[in-house]
Amino acid sequence: MSGLSIAAEGAGRYISWGVIQISVANLTIIAVMVLLFLLALVIPFPTGHGSDDGGHDR
Amino acid sequence: MTTATGRPGQKTETGSSNWTTRLRNWIVGLVPPGEALPDRQPIYVASWIYVFGVLTLAALAIVIGSGCVLAIGGSAWWHTSSLGRYVNSVHLWSVELLFGFMVIHLWGKFWMAAWRGGRSMTWMTGVVLFVISIGTSFTGFLSQSNFDSQWIGSQGKDGLNSVGVGAWFNVLNPGQMLMWHIVLLPLVVVVVTVVHVVLVRRHGVVPPIDAEM
Repeated sequence: MSGLSIAAEGAGRYISWGVIQISVANLTIIAVMVLLFLLALVIPFPTGHGSDDGGHDR
Repeated sequence: MTTATGRPGQKTETGSSNWTTRLRNWIVGLVPPGEALPDRQPIYVASWIYVFGVLTLAALAIVIGSGCVLAIGGSAWWHTSSLGRYVNSVHLWSVELLFGFMVIHLWGKFWMAAWRGGRSMTWMTGVVLFVISIGTSFTGFLSQSNFDSQWIGSQGKDGLNSVGVGAWFNVLNPGQMLMWHIVLLPLVVVVVTVVHVVLVRRHGVVPPIDAEM
């Protein structure tokens, strides 16, 4: 059993919720991606061309 | 058949009997004039969510570049060389970024319903790229030439054998997996990426849903 616990420690920490089991590292990466996605939606994009040059509609 | 003059003294056929002309006309007609590398975009493109597609392309360029350097040293180079280990890490982390950017790009396009307006093939080529990229990274993990790749191969063989592809795609054959990883799958990824980008330029960036109503 001690060998198993050592192997588990080497594999990282896991979070279990019912049938769902995910490593803390993977959950952190997913959370950062969701955060990036939300920030990309709300942070204004710098246009840099002034207000009179806002592109054209097709 | 008509003729047109290009350079001085040069006759250029625009008819359909010359396959070179037909191919050129086909290439020219793939994308509307001025849309291949546009310097202006619709105002709704001024959002960070539109950046993740090109970030994925940038990560792909680094993946391919670092992969080419790794190919010079060979698959075991990174075990014996600090430079090889560095290039291997660049290859790994650019792949990690590629998938992160690609998935955020996918989320953005999904919630935009980016298949609207005759863009179904753009969406589907993106889906195919996502699936093929997973297979390409899988063969990369199988090509690490270490215990990790042995473990992944032994874990993956039963699933692949159960669907009947083990005879042609043997994850316990590191030489075959390396060839799939550095020749076949990257070729498919690059070709489908080119098709995907051409389709984006051909149909334009999808407008927001409320802009169409």
